[in-house]
Amino acid sequence: MTLERRRVLKLGGGIIATFSLPLSVRAASLEIIEMGGTARGERIWFAPHGLAVSAGTTIRFVNRDPGNSHTATAYHPDLFDRTRRIPKAAGPWDSGFLLPGESFEVTLEIPGVYDYYCIPHEMAAMVGRIVVGNPSDPRWEGSSPDTGDVSAKVLAALPRVEDILAKGRIGREDDT
Amino acid sequence: MIKSILLSVTLVAASASLAIAHDNEALLHAPAGEPYVQVSDVLPLPAFLPGLGTLFVAPDTLPAGPFLAYDHDGKLSATVYMTPLDDLQNGTSYDDLIIGSHEVSSVDIYYNAGHPGVDKPHAHVVLYHDAEAKKRLAK
Repeated sequence: MTLERRRVLKLGGGIIATFSLPLSVRAASLEIIEMGGTARGERIWFAPHGLAVSAGTTIRFVNRDPGNSHTATAYHPDLFDRTRRIPKAAGPWDSGFLLPGESFEVTLEIPGVYDYYCIPHEMAAMVGRIVVGNPSDPRWEGSSPDTGDVSAKVLAALPRVEDILAKGRIGREDDT
Repeated sequence: MIKSILLSVTLVAASASLAIAHDNEALLHAPAGEPYVQVSDVLPLPAFLPGLGTLFVAPDTLPAGPFLAYDHDGKLSATVYMTPLDDLQNGTSYDDLIIGSHEVSSVDIYYNAGHPGVDKPHAHVVLYHDAEAKKRLAK
């Protein structure tokens, strides 16, 4: 039996009136990011690891890796005293450890760049970046300039904001 | 006199062998007793890991282990060691590690990017204890 755990956070102070929205808008307001890995755990990933969404989009992280647990954890001082890499007005999130088949949801309201990581796999550069809205939005906050709290490997693994905005989503096939 | 000493040495050696055999017997079927704990009871990992089975480890031996790997029927099928690559590179050696069974049919060594319990990228050294063990641990 597969356990499924869903937790929903609303960040940025907005109220999501999901059931009052037209069907087409509801369908577009949910994006799925899968956590995956090879059978022996040589490689692990978020897919996509770069994603552009509109404000108010709910992100569902799903662990599709049958042999590992993963987290989706925002870089933020409130979580393990990390340097903030999400917009200042946004609240941080941490999925906790998701076993295979489990999922976690977070709704992103504040425009800007959100970087997150997997706690047990940050050293292997299992990280991702979500871009909410675009730079012309009020309250937009771009990517963190910090280079001291994360490794060069992590920084190299984060897609460029320009590329995410241009492509919409960036997956492993786009890594090379 | 010499015969007497040889007899004593032989008896001591036989006793030691019996003790080792007894210790191994205790580990051949899950659950492994103390000081071993089931990994999924203390870490956020599935109870049965595809490729590794149900793992038991003595916490004091982390990160190297041994991790005792049992199949779905609770039969000891492999002994697994997990050795962080940067620890090895920095001079750490893991010597005289315990093995779950003295019968080893084959050994696999491969890279793992990390998981709860052994976060650092590391090598898995897997000693299979019979020819069918890998198949039984696969899923």
